[in-house]
Amino acid sequence: MNATLAAVMAILGLTLIKATPLIYAALGGVLSERAGVVNIGLEGILIAGAFTSVVVSGATGNPILGALAGVLAGMLLAAILAYVTTRLAVDQIVAGTGLNIAALAGAAFGLVLVYHQPGASHEVPALGRTGETVLVVLAFVAAGVLHLVLTRTPWGLHVRACGEDPSAADSAGIDALKTRFWAVVIGGAIASLGGVYLSLAELDLYSDGMTAGRGFIALAAVIFGRWTPLGATGAALFFGFFAALQFSLQRAGVPSELLQALPYLAALVALAGFAGRVRAPAADGVPYVRS
Amino acid sequence: MTAAFLRTRAFRDIVVVLVLVFGVGSIAMLLAHVSPIVGFGALFDGAWGTKGEIAETLVQTTNLLFPALGIAIAFRAGLFNIGAEGQLVMGGFAAGWLGAQFPLPGYLAVPMVLAAGTLAGGVWGAIPGIMRARFKANEVIATLMLNVVAILLTTYLVTGPLQQGGANGSETGPLPKAAQLTHLFDTQLTWAFVLALVLAFVLRWVLQGTVFGYELRAAGDAPEAAKRAGIDLGRTALIAMSLSGAIAGLGGATIVAGALHRFNTGLSPGYGFIAIAVALVGNLDPLWIVVASVAFGMLQSGGIAMQAEAGVPKEVVSLIIGLVIIALAGRRVVASLRST
Repeated sequence: MNATLAAVMAILGLTLIKATPLIYAALGGVLSERAGVVNIGLEGILIAGAFTSVVVSGATGNPILGALAGVLAGMLLAAILAYVTTRLAVDQIVAGTGLNIAALAGAAFGLVLVYHQPGASHEVPALGRTGETVLVVLAFVAAGVLHLVLTRTPWGLHVRACGEDPSAADSAGIDALKTRFWAVVIGGAIASLGGVYLSLAELDLYSDGMTAGRGFIALAAVIFGRWTPLGATGAALFFGFFAALQFSLQRAGVPSELLQALPYLAALVALAGFAGRVRAPAADGVPYVRS
Repeated sequence: MTAAFLRTRAFRDIVVVLVLVFGVGSIAMLLAHVSPIVGFGALFDGAWGTKGEIAETLVQTTNLLFPALGIAIAFRAGLFNIGAEGQLVMGGFAAGWLGAQFPLPGYLAVPMVLAAGTLAGGVWGAIPGIMRARFKANEVIATLMLNVVAILLTTYLVTGPLQQGGANGSETGPLPKAAQLTHLFDTQLTWAFVLALVLAFVLRWVLQGTVFGYELRAAGDAPEAAKRAGIDLGRTALIAMSLSGAIAGLGGATIVAGALHRFNTGLSPGYGFIAIAVALVGNLDPLWIVVASVAFGMLQSGGIAMQAEAGVPKEVVSLIIGLVIIALAGRRVVASLRST
């Protein structure tokens, strides 16, 4: 009996570990998409957060400074995306795809520059057990806060207005471009914490490909969670649970590829409308140009 | 004439790309303590120095040209197919598995392998096409998800139910000699290169000279007007996505039949993503895409030499390609989108 309980606890603990970076990335995605910008670059932002936090922690010996630097790097990348998608009104999808490629290559190049070796960094001072717990709890706090901000504050209303009809928002005196810009940048800050968690809390180094497509799973969680902070958090937990079960299910003969494909298949099903009414913000993905 | 060209968007784009390639490239090389002259010298020399290197550049050109042509067809129809990578992988898998499983005699083998790849890529492209036509599902997210699903699915099939005993379980069995593409000039280059060039001309004609091409462009440029003119947008989307996937799938099949001679889960180093940059730089025009694919093929093959000869990490090339995509994301593709 005790053994079963221990096993259940272990799975739940692992679920939290697997879900936390997804929650951060998905919350960043929700904020940005509610303002009308599809952030395909979440993967790149995770990479920026993970890589920069390791480099700065290694250089200063202070993992908290590292974490802050990781967040700044995520915001910077998001600001690039936000600038080109709002001020230059370029296509969000194509720009985000470019951002992902550039971030992955930039980190790989950075590894060679800083550590004179390809593939992985050295081990650096990490956030440790306490830091990990704080980041896990903070993910849920962030979900609650974002929910309140979006539903209860004037800025949240502005964000949602820009996602539904930026032109009407502009007429009502809300600066749609500015609102979108800051929604993407703040979304980038939140998402980058997922990267910091991966490299400085779960591990103590950066290695190429360590984000392993979590930015895309987070996009799936945004859709499956119907573009709400709490829904996306639920979806991230659901995907994290199956990731945690992977080892046990694999031993029971379920192919691991099937489990890995689950978030994507779930998102496809949700997209096709089989999981009830799913509607993206009306102006999600549409560049806004003032006339 | 010349003055007018200097003011065009196409010219401005070329300038932006050149500045990014040489500017970012030089900064990155200086950071790696390599003189840009030495670095770019190694890159160009590695791409064009010998007969074998030229052939490798043209092989990379071919591998980018197929998915880029596919992407252009979808983009011209106003559909953001960013799933070329998955479509290419599915095509490569179908070609490799069927080719090894059912060895056909002589002249039948190569056409079957290429047809299998085309069909599989087409089916993989049709899925988001159907989702878009029937459920108004956003094709961007669908193709993005299907990229990952394609890689996981083929990994599962090749290591599991459809195993053929290839090395370390991540490959299909080898293709019989009859199913392999013939090499040209005693190099790695195969006639897949010629096929890709012919395809570019054919697609140019389809887009500019046929009723279907007109409907496709109308659906992309002015969907509302096209609808009022009686063009079935759902049907156009389905055909464009299937065709787009089929071309990428054919590309995957030529990689299998031309170079690897078996399907391998590491078949593509992201050709389907780099091809987005190729299609955009090529202004979504099949003939300009040929030119763009040679340029990017050179970066791909020269990047490896640059790393080996000058000690500049080859990731610099991917970094530049990513920035080129961001810089060119503002093309006119944008204007038309998202009204179903």
